[in-house]
Amino acid sequence: MSPAAQIDNGGEDEGLGRTLAALADPHRRRVVQILSERPRRAGELAQALALSPPAMSRHLRTLRECGLVEERHDGFDARVRVYQLRPEPMANLAAWLRETEAMWAAQLTAFRDHLLARDAAGPP
Amino acid sequence: MSSRVLVALRVPGPPERAFRVFTEEIGAWWRPSPLFGFTPRGPGVLAIEPPDADAAGRVVERLADGRLFVIGEITAWEPGRRLAFNWRQAAFAPDQNTHVDVRFEAVGEETRVTVQHTGWDSVPPVHVARHALPDAVFSRRLADWWRALLASMGGYL
Repeated sequence: MSPAAQIDNGGEDEGLGRTLAALADPHRRRVVQILSERPRRAGELAQALALSPPAMSRHLRTLRECGLVEERHDGFDARVRVYQLRPEPMANLAAWLRETEAMWAAQLTAFRDHLLARDAAGPP
Repeated sequence: MSSRVLVALRVPGPPERAFRVFTEEIGAWWRPSPLFGFTPRGPGVLAIEPPDADAAGRVVERLADGRLFVIGEITAWEPGRRLAFNWRQAAFAPDQNTHVDVRFEAVGEETRVTVQHTGWDSVPPVHVARHALPDAVFSRRLADWWRALLASMGGYL
């Protein structure tokens, strides 16, 4: 997918709705968190979350269907499949976190200005 | 990806005073942000109610019509050192919550104030921003993000 296609908002609500539903489950949020470190095999994920392989497999299917994760073959062994995060669906979260950061930077600056104005007005 | 937001800034004076002004005068220094409005009826005036023997303390927004929106309970109250509280906006689903942790540390004659805001991964932005964040802003941020991502992926392409 090209960046331009992603920025175009056509159909975005549907995609976000699916992402949202997928992330509503704590197990799937944990999978996303683990995969944000590096790609893993399904077996590793099942072990990390103490889930049975069939349960893990269902969660991975949901995550795959909403486009949060993708499956690829291990570069060294074509029989092994690993799961990794797809970057696009997290883009809105990334953008949101930047907004949050900018908001707090502005608040702390306003707080500092308030303290400086108090100092200029007289002793605390 | 970590959903932690960390911002720090040095302010004049010792931590005890910074903490006191931060908590007692938040109504005077806080700048309401349309993007982070707590309730559609706002903005009102923020206030921090310290904990006492009977209650945990809370961060609230007093609205012009006299109503009170509770942003969150205070989870840590250590005057001169640390303040932590829950942060919920009206648009959040009932089980969604974020958490703010503010630290005050002496640096010479000044104070370093560090804000850590966590939990946004449980609150998809669509909940809070669908009507608040202009598409153009999202698109611009998204474009920045893509550029950074593509740059970091350069080694694999």
